[in-house]
Amino acid sequence: MNHQTHAFHMVNPSPWPLTGALSALLITSGLTMWFHFNSMTLMLLGLLACIMTMYQWWRDIVREGTYQGHHTPTVQKGLRYGMVLFIISEVFFFAGFFWAFYHSSLAPTPELGGYWPPAGINPLNPTEVPLLNTAILLASGVSITWAHHSLMEGHRKHVIQSLLTTIILGIYFTLLQASEYFEAPFTISDGIYGSTFFVATGFHGLHVIIGSTFLTVCLIRQLLFHFTSKHHFGFEAAAWYWHFVDVVWLFLYVSIYWWGS
Amino acid sequence: MYYKFSGFTQKLTGAWASDAYNPQGLRPVVSTEAPPIIFATPTKLTSSYPAYDYAGKNKVPELQKFFQKPDGLPVHLKRGLPDQMLYRTTMALTLGGTIYCLIALYKAAQPRNKKTTCTFPCSWKTSDVGTWEH
Repeated sequence: MNHQTHAFHMVNPSPWPLTGALSALLITSGLTMWFHFNSMTLMLLGLLACIMTMYQWWRDIVREGTYQGHHTPTVQKGLRYGMVLFIISEVFFFAGFFWAFYHSSLAPTPELGGYWPPAGINPLNPTEVPLLNTAILLASGVSITWAHHSLMEGHRKHVIQSLLTTIILGIYFTLLQASEYFEAPFTISDGIYGSTFFVATGFHGLHVIIGSTFLTVCLIRQLLFHFTSKHHFGFEAAAWYWHFVDVVWLFLYVSIYWWGS
Repeated sequence: MYYKFSGFTQKLTGAWASDAYNPQGLRPVVSTEAPPIIFATPTKLTSSYPAYDYAGKNKVPELQKFFQKPDGLPVHLKRGLPDQMLYRTTMALTLGGTIYCLIALYKAAQPRNKKTTCTFPCSWKTSDVGTWEH
């Protein structure tokens, strides 16, 4: 019998890094084909391969951790470092878009009329739907904290209820933002205002969708009894990500919606 | 009259009997044993426990036994046929797509129109972007 005499996880050889990398190639070249040659085949193929890779890779991690017991405290520490570093990289990703916004809005060019919001732009009223969206995300931060405490205390029903609440609030936010996008009097092609607004809020919306998906996976795992009161790192990672998404929104709201209007 | 030492003023100060009988300097002994892991539902025999309302009974222990079978299979193929089908489909789509991508990029790199041999500056109306036919 082979027994390891260390606390680390030597992973089985896996095909998913290869399929993931190749799917990235297909998505990017697929974008080229879509933009220049009016064909979506390659891009859709790439997206499908990417989704299948993500599903199987994360399924394998659940098998390795929950079913095979490979996630010792040492391994879990590594996973924590990994998630923290990933979120830090996302912070820098958003920092770029905030930089672009402040660069353009602190010194508006003569072409914009020398002021911000630029000439001809009617910004959205920050005290209407955007304020509701702020309340929704803040409330979702409360409900996810409730879920975590319930999980640590072993209250199964409360975990399910509070996690469901968080997910519903996330979906509500997404639907409201989508309707705002439709109703907005300006578009992405309306100069630098439109570009900075829709790229920054658009990427944020994408992250809300990713976060809601992560939370939904956690809900499914909770229903399947995967989490214990002491070991539930997948849930913690989802919670960290969700709080990050919430904080980015607060910066967006204050900078673009409020100060920028 | 009972007294306690005030860490703030560094002097003795009045206190209630409860402080005298539970001195501030003493802390309850912390158990060094690992606390029992609380699963979200108590782990009892399925025969003595009614089916739980949320999504059935806890299948994790059986799954743990299943995935720890020493059959030499890597984790991504551990379930057998369904895993194999999904893996093969993913790999086929990815590798097939890569070949399609290379062909598409090769074709896209070929000059398509006779008119594209323009001298700079060329007017936009004489050369157009190639169209991709299936």
